[in-house]
Amino acid sequence: MTHALRPLKLYLANRYYVLGVPLFIYAVVVVLSIAVVAIIGSMTGFPLSEEIREGTRNNAGVLFSAPGFLVSVGVFAATRNFALALALGATRRSFWAGTTLGFALTSLMTATAASVGLGLERLTGHWFIGAHVFDVHVFGDGDLAVLFVGVFVMAIACLAAGALFGTLFRAYGTVRTVLWGAAMGVVALGLLTLAAVNDERVLAWQDAWGEWLSVSVIAAVAAAFLAGSYAAVRRATI
Amino acid sequence: MTAGISVIGLTKTYGDHTVLDDLHLTFAAGKIHGLLGANGTGKTTLMSLMSRHTFPTRGSVLLDDREFGEDPRQAQRLCFVRENQLYNDAFKVRDVLRIAPDFYPKWDAATTTRLVDRFRLPPATVVKKLSRGQRSALAIVLALGSRADFTFLDEPYLGLDPGARETFYEELIRSYGAQPRTIIMSTHLVDEAAPLLEEVVVLNQGRVALQAPLEEAEALALTLSGPTTSLDRWLQEHPDHPSLTRRTLGPTATVTTLGPLSDAESASASQAQLRVTSTSLQGLVAALGNSNHEVA
Repeated sequence: MTHALRPLKLYLANRYYVLGVPLFIYAVVVVLSIAVVAIIGSMTGFPLSEEIREGTRNNAGVLFSAPGFLVSVGVFAATRNFALALALGATRRSFWAGTTLGFALTSLMTATAASVGLGLERLTGHWFIGAHVFDVHVFGDGDLAVLFVGVFVMAIACLAAGALFGTLFRAYGTVRTVLWGAAMGVVALGLLTLAAVNDERVLAWQDAWGEWLSVSVIAAVAAAFLAGSYAAVRRATI
Repeated sequence: MTAGISVIGLTKTYGDHTVLDDLHLTFAAGKIHGLLGANGTGKTTLMSLMSRHTFPTRGSVLLDDREFGEDPRQAQRLCFVRENQLYNDAFKVRDVLRIAPDFYPKWDAATTTRLVDRFRLPPATVVKKLSRGQRSALAIVLALGSRADFTFLDEPYLGLDPGARETFYEELIRSYGAQPRTIIMSTHLVDEAAPLLEEVVVLNQGRVALQAPLEEAEALALTLSGPTTSLDRWLQEHPDHPSLTRRTLGPTATVTTLGPLSDAESASASQAQLRVTSTSLQGLVAALGNSNHEVA
């Protein structure tokens, strides 16, 4: 465990980058969402009609704003940090363990930011003008647990995906990385087809589990990416 | 003192290209070793394999007679900052210098501070914006600061001006004197670095062309010059002294060969009107690189 703390410190060397940027991204999402609602409201009048408020509940900014950045953090960790960690005498296993701990911290920070955002959103009556940013359908309509866990697993899945593909690239080069990506795409399509064929069963699960079904699926994907990145990092070279 | 690094039957191939071919070597502990040879002879690959940055096609590497695999206690005895080391794009010099001590229990803070000052490394600058020489200086700071039992230096002087190179040599000796350890340094500035070295390994086309203590290696390098016909006859009569490289100018020729010469051989060379002069280690490395001769 002590040996994993060194790569963790390496991951956290630039704290603003790995812990602060997700907060900044969500702050921008809040500002942009308020601006959009303000523009709509200035044309339709305040308070917003129920139809428009319902529309803002479909805001997926929190879902789609951070993944690109998080994937890039995963890629950089798996390539640049990996090279420096090995140069400084870390093993592949301790690098993976430390970096995965770092991913958990980034995800925790991202989920906490979203949860605090939800609290502020409620406190301010949806940012004073009826704008929904965190209290949205996709994250359980204001269910704090769904939002926190959902954002956490989404973040760690993105970080792990970046780490997996970054490591595959380092271990196997461009061509085989593309082939691995294509193979994973085929598997994903197969699973989606399986779900479509068994739609009644899936809908029954959806009724029983609600948003937790999606959260569980993303958690399973994150676990698969982490396991894949561990397998890949054991063969990665510099 | 520990046993050092043993390289046993090490082979590395990339597709059809064999970079290292069945290498058997020992880098004795507590010495400064020079890893010499032309570009593309496998020096960096050998260092990568010894530090497990990459994996061998065949063969193994032992640290103090043990395979170290994924043992973190063994791994932290190694430091190999490459000449083209990758750093996180967001890292500043001070970030790297803040993290590195956590990796090494014997980190030498005083040397680090002094080296940063002597190399004038700017702590607030992003590493990727450093000049070639500054990146080399940072690698030297990490390597010497680590006090790792096995420290690899891969052409550490790249981009350094003569003054900075002098600083490096001086600090290397100072650090090594304070704590003797195994240092393996690849270099093309052979004669400049030679006073630092205790053992030399010369690689040629992925094989060991020579492994010897510095004094022995330096005694090996000789040039013979004189009338071409006399020289050729002498070489024919003395097959233990092969012609590694040859330059012909009109009726005279000069060859680099392997010494030392016995008294009788020196006398016969003199009788043949040949001039025998010692050549530098750099000359020997170049000569071995231009031939397929293996002394080891």
